Amino acid sequence: MKEEVLDCNGEACPVPLVKAQNKLKELEVGDVLVVQVDHSCAMKNVPEWARKEGHNVEIEEVDDGEWEIVIQKAK
Amino acid sequence: MKLRESTHYKVWFKDPWSYVTGAVLLAVFQTVTLAVTGSPWGVSGALANWGAWVYRAFGGSVDKWYYFSSEGAQALLDRGFLKDPGTMRNLGIIAGALFAILMASQFKIKKIKSWKQVVAAVLGGLLMGYGARIAFGCNIGALFSGIASLSLSGWVFAVFLFLGAIVGSKLLVKFFM
Repeated sequence: MKEEVLDCNGEACPVPLVKAQNKLKELEVGDVLVVQVDHSCAMKNVPEWARKEGHNVEIEEVDDGEWEIVIQKAK
Repeated sequence: MKLRESTHYKVWFKDPWSYVTGAVLLAVFQTVTLAVTGSPWGVSGALANWGAWVYRAFGGSVDKWYYFSSEGAQALLDRGFLKDPGTMRNLGIIAGALFAILMASQFKIKKIKSWKQVVAAVLGGLLMGYGARIAFGCNIGALFSGIASLSLSGWVFAVFLFLGAIVGSKLLVKFFM
Protein backbone atom coordinates (compact mmCIF):
# COMPACT_ATOMS: atom_id res chain seq x y z
CA MET A 1 0.00 0.00 0.00
CA LYS A 2 1.59 3.25 -1.05
CA GLU A 3 0.74 6.92 -0.77
CA GLU A 4 1.18 9.38 -3.61
CA VAL A 5 0.98 13.17 -3.38
CA LEU A 6 -0.29 15.20 -6.32
CA ASP A 7 0.52 18.92 -6.08
CA CYS A 8 -2.24 20.84 -7.84
CA ASN A 9 -1.74 24.14 -5.99
CA GLY A 10 -2.01 27.03 -8.41
CA GLU A 11 -4.00 24.99 -10.93
CA ALA A 12 -7.53 26.04 -11.87
CA CYS A 13 -10.50 23.80 -12.60
CA PRO A 14 -10.78 21.36 -14.18
CA VAL A 15 -7.04 20.60 -14.23
CA PRO A 16 -6.88 19.14 -10.66
CA LEU A 17 -9.83 16.85 -11.39
CA VAL A 18 -8.39 15.48 -14.65
CA LYS A 19 -4.94 15.05 -13.07
CA ALA A 20 -6.45 13.20 -10.10
CA GLN A 21 -8.44 10.94 -12.42
CA ASN A 22 -5.35 10.07 -14.47
CA LYS A 23 -3.19 9.49 -11.39
CA LEU A 24 -5.71 7.27 -9.63
CA LYS A 25 -5.85 4.99 -12.69
CA GLU A 26 -2.14 4.19 -12.15
CA LEU A 27 -2.63 3.19 -8.50
CA GLU A 28 -3.62 -0.18 -7.01
CA VAL A 29 -6.66 -0.88 -4.82
CA GLY A 30 -5.90 0.25 -1.26
CA ASP A 31 -3.38 2.89 -2.35
CA VAL A 32 -3.88 6.45 -1.17
CA LEU A 33 -3.76 9.57 -3.35
CA VAL A 34 -3.38 12.96 -1.69
CA VAL A 35 -4.45 15.80 -3.97
CA GLN A 36 -3.29 19.25 -2.83
CA VAL A 37 -5.52 22.03 -4.14
CA ASP A 38 -6.04 25.75 -3.55
CA HIS A 39 -8.98 26.27 -5.90
CA SER A 40 -12.26 26.05 -4.01
CA CYS A 41 -14.19 24.43 -6.88
CA ALA A 42 -11.62 21.61 -7.02
CA MET A 43 -12.36 21.03 -3.34
CA LYS A 44 -15.95 20.34 -4.49
CA ASN A 45 -15.62 18.51 -7.82
CA VAL A 46 -12.69 16.20 -6.97
CA PRO A 47 -14.41 14.66 -3.88
CA GLU A 48 -17.74 14.51 -5.76
CA TRP A 49 -16.19 12.47 -8.57
CA ALA A 50 -14.20 10.20 -6.20
CA ARG A 51 -17.23 9.45 -4.00
CA LYS A 52 -19.37 8.70 -7.06
CA GLU A 53 -16.71 6.20 -8.17
CA GLY A 54 -17.03 4.58 -4.73
CA HIS A 55 -13.63 5.52 -3.26
CA ASN A 56 -13.09 6.64 0.35
CA VAL A 57 -12.60 10.38 0.52
CA GLU A 58 -11.57 12.79 3.25
CA ILE A 59 -10.97 16.52 2.94
CA GLU A 60 -8.59 18.38 5.20
CA GLU A 61 -8.29 22.14 5.29
CA VAL A 62 -4.55 22.53 5.77
CA ASP A 63 -4.35 26.34 5.55
CA ASP A 64 -6.42 29.38 4.50
CA GLY A 65 -7.74 28.40 1.08
CA GLU A 66 -5.66 25.22 0.88
CA TRP A 67 -6.94 21.70 1.04
CA GLU A 68 -5.73 18.12 0.90
CA ILE A 69 -8.16 15.68 -0.60
CA VAL A 70 -7.27 12.18 0.58
CA ILE A 71 -8.60 9.47 -1.71
CA GLN A 72 -8.23 5.77 -0.97
CA LYS A 73 -8.75 3.67 -4.07
CA ALA A 74 -11.53 1.19 -3.24
CA LYS A 75 -11.82 -0.77 -6.48
CA MET B 1 -18.20 27.46 21.79
CA LYS B 2 -15.72 28.44 19.09
CA LEU B 3 -17.00 30.30 16.05
CA ARG B 4 -15.45 27.72 13.74
CA GLU B 5 -17.62 24.99 15.21
CA SER B 6 -20.86 26.97 15.14
CA THR B 7 -23.46 25.44 12.82
CA HIS B 8 -24.70 28.87 11.78
CA TYR B 9 -21.19 29.95 10.84
CA LYS B 10 -20.73 26.82 8.74
CA VAL B 11 -24.07 27.10 6.97
CA TRP B 12 -23.80 30.83 6.22
CA PHE B 13 -20.10 31.42 5.64
CA LYS B 14 -17.99 28.27 5.49
CA ASP B 15 -19.71 25.62 3.41
CA PRO B 16 -20.53 26.30 -0.24
CA TRP B 17 -24.20 27.07 -0.82
CA SER B 18 -26.17 24.67 -3.01
CA TYR B 19 -26.74 25.32 -6.72
CA VAL B 20 -30.48 25.69 -5.98
CA THR B 21 -29.84 28.42 -3.38
CA GLY B 22 -27.58 30.19 -5.87
CA ALA B 23 -30.12 29.89 -8.68
CA VAL B 24 -32.97 31.27 -6.56
CA LEU B 25 -30.85 34.21 -5.34
CA LEU B 26 -29.70 35.00 -8.90
CA ALA B 27 -33.33 35.02 -10.07
CA VAL B 28 -34.39 37.30 -7.19
CA PHE B 29 -31.56 39.78 -7.74
CA GLN B 30 -32.03 39.73 -11.53
CA THR B 31 -35.65 40.81 -10.89
CA VAL B 32 -34.53 43.52 -8.46
CA THR B 33 -31.92 44.76 -10.96
CA LEU B 34 -34.48 45.02 -13.76
CA ALA B 35 -36.97 46.82 -11.48
CA VAL B 36 -34.46 49.31 -10.06
CA THR B 37 -32.21 50.13 -13.03
CA GLY B 38 -34.58 49.46 -15.94
CA SER B 39 -32.13 47.06 -17.63
CA PRO B 40 -31.37 43.40 -17.01
CA TRP B 41 -28.12 42.33 -15.38
CA GLY B 42 -24.92 42.60 -17.43
CA VAL B 43 -21.25 42.56 -16.49
CA SER B 44 -18.94 43.08 -19.45
CA GLY B 45 -20.76 46.12 -20.89
CA ALA B 46 -19.64 48.20 -17.91
CA LEU B 47 -16.05 47.07 -18.52
CA ALA B 48 -16.22 48.53 -22.05
CA ASN B 49 -17.39 51.81 -20.48
CA TRP B 50 -14.41 51.70 -18.10
CA GLY B 51 -12.20 51.47 -21.17
CA ALA B 52 -13.95 54.49 -22.70
CA TRP B 53 -13.49 56.52 -19.49
CA VAL B 54 -9.81 55.63 -19.31
CA TYR B 55 -9.41 56.62 -22.97
CA ARG B 56 -11.23 59.94 -22.28
CA ALA B 57 -9.05 60.59 -19.22
CA PHE B 58 -6.04 60.54 -21.54
CA GLY B 59 -7.69 63.07 -23.83
CA GLY B 60 -9.19 60.63 -26.36
CA SER B 61 -12.72 60.79 -27.71
CA VAL B 62 -15.03 57.86 -28.38
CA ASP B 63 -17.89 60.01 -29.73
CA LYS B 64 -17.35 58.77 -33.28
CA TRP B 65 -16.93 55.10 -32.34
CA TYR B 66 -19.86 53.07 -33.62
CA TYR B 67 -20.15 51.11 -30.38
CA PHE B 68 -20.58 54.28 -28.27
CA SER B 69 -22.41 56.33 -30.94
CA SER B 70 -25.97 56.01 -29.56
CA GLU B 71 -27.38 58.86 -27.48
CA GLY B 72 -27.94 56.50 -24.58
CA ALA B 73 -24.31 55.37 -24.57
CA GLN B 74 -23.03 58.96 -24.79
CA ALA B 75 -25.33 60.10 -21.96
CA LEU B 76 -24.15 57.21 -19.77
CA LEU B 77 -20.49 58.07 -20.42
CA ASP B 78 -21.18 61.76 -19.68
CA ARG B 79 -22.89 60.93 -16.36
CA GLY B 80 -19.64 59.34 -15.30
CA PHE B 81 -18.22 56.38 -13.44
CA LEU B 82 -20.12 56.87 -10.18
CA LYS B 83 -23.56 57.11 -11.80
CA ASP B 84 -23.40 53.92 -13.86
CA PRO B 85 -25.42 51.13 -12.20
CA GLY B 86 -23.40 48.45 -14.03
CA THR B 87 -20.15 49.85 -12.67
CA MET B 88 -21.49 49.96 -9.11
CA ARG B 89 -22.72 46.39 -9.44
CA ASN B 90 -19.37 45.15 -10.75
CA LEU B 91 -17.56 46.82 -7.84
CA GLY B 92 -20.15 45.24 -5.54
CA ILE B 93 -19.43 41.80 -7.00
CA ILE B 94 -15.70 42.23 -6.30
CA ALA B 95 -16.31 43.54 -2.76
CA GLY B 96 -18.89 40.81 -2.06
CA ALA B 97 -16.61 38.05 -3.31
CA LEU B 98 -13.79 39.36 -1.12
CA PHE B 99 -16.12 39.54 1.89
CA ALA B 100 -17.33 35.97 1.32
CA ILE B 101 -13.83 34.52 0.99
CA LEU B 102 -12.60 36.43 4.07
CA MET B 103 -15.57 35.23 6.13
CA ALA B 104 -14.81 31.64 5.12
CA SER B 105 -11.11 32.34 5.91
CA GLN B 106 -10.11 30.98 2.51
CA PHE B 107 -8.27 34.03 1.20
CA LYS B 108 -5.03 33.12 -0.51
CA ILE B 109 -2.78 34.86 -3.01
CA LYS B 110 -2.05 32.11 -5.48
CA LYS B 111 1.28 31.71 -7.13
CA ILE B 112 1.57 31.62 -10.89
CA LYS B 113 2.76 28.16 -11.79
CA SER B 114 3.96 28.69 -15.32
CA TRP B 115 4.18 31.18 -18.19
CA LYS B 116 1.64 29.01 -19.97
CA GLN B 117 -0.95 30.10 -17.39
CA VAL B 118 -0.16 33.77 -18.03
CA VAL B 119 -0.39 33.40 -21.80
CA ALA B 120 -3.64 31.42 -21.53
CA ALA B 121 -5.18 33.96 -19.13
CA VAL B 122 -4.27 36.96 -21.29
CA LEU B 123 -5.39 35.27 -24.52
CA GLY B 124 -8.59 34.04 -22.87
CA GLY B 125 -9.37 37.48 -21.45
CA LEU B 126 -8.85 39.20 -24.80
CA LEU B 127 -11.01 36.65 -26.64
CA MET B 128 -13.79 36.84 -24.03
CA GLY B 129 -13.73 40.63 -23.98
CA TYR B 130 -13.76 40.91 -27.77
CA GLY B 131 -16.40 38.19 -28.14
CA ALA B 132 -18.66 39.68 -25.49
CA ARG B 133 -18.61 43.08 -27.21
CA ILE B 134 -19.35 41.88 -30.75
CA ALA B 135 -22.09 39.58 -29.36
CA PHE B 136 -23.51 42.49 -27.32
CA GLY B 137 -23.21 40.55 -24.08
CA CYS B 138 -21.34 37.95 -22.10
CA ASN B 139 -22.69 34.85 -20.40
CA ILE B 140 -24.56 37.14 -18.01
CA GLY B 141 -25.96 39.86 -20.29
CA ALA B 142 -26.52 37.73 -23.40
CA LEU B 143 -27.12 34.27 -21.88
CA PHE B 144 -28.70 34.64 -18.44
CA SER B 145 -30.51 37.94 -19.02
CA GLY B 146 -31.34 36.93 -22.60
CA ILE B 147 -33.02 33.68 -21.61
CA ALA B 148 -34.72 35.34 -18.62
CA SER B 149 -36.19 37.90 -21.07
CA LEU B 150 -37.59 35.02 -23.15
CA SER B 151 -35.35 36.07 -26.01
CA LEU B 152 -34.35 33.53 -28.67
CA SER B 153 -30.87 35.09 -28.84
CA GLY B 154 -30.12 33.80 -25.34
CA TRP B 155 -30.72 30.20 -26.48
CA VAL B 156 -28.64 30.66 -29.63
CA PHE B 157 -25.87 32.04 -27.40
CA ALA B 158 -26.23 28.98 -25.12
CA VAL B 159 -25.73 26.51 -27.99
CA PHE B 160 -22.54 28.21 -29.16
CA LEU B 161 -21.28 28.78 -25.61
CA PHE B 162 -21.57 25.02 -25.13
CA LEU B 163 -19.72 24.27 -28.39
CA GLY B 164 -17.02 26.76 -27.44
CA ALA B 165 -16.67 25.18 -24.01
CA ILE B 166 -16.11 21.76 -25.61
CA VAL B 167 -13.32 23.14 -27.81
CA GLY B 168 -11.90 25.05 -24.82
CA SER B 169 -11.83 21.92 -22.63
CA LYS B 170 -10.00 19.96 -25.35
CA LEU B 171 -7.39 22.73 -25.66
CA LEU B 172 -7.06 22.90 -21.88
CA VAL B 173 -6.42 19.17 -21.57
CA LYS B 174 -3.97 19.35 -24.50
CA PHE B 175 -1.90 22.24 -23.12
CA PHE B 176 -2.22 21.89 -19.34
CA MET B 177 -2.02 18.16 -18.63
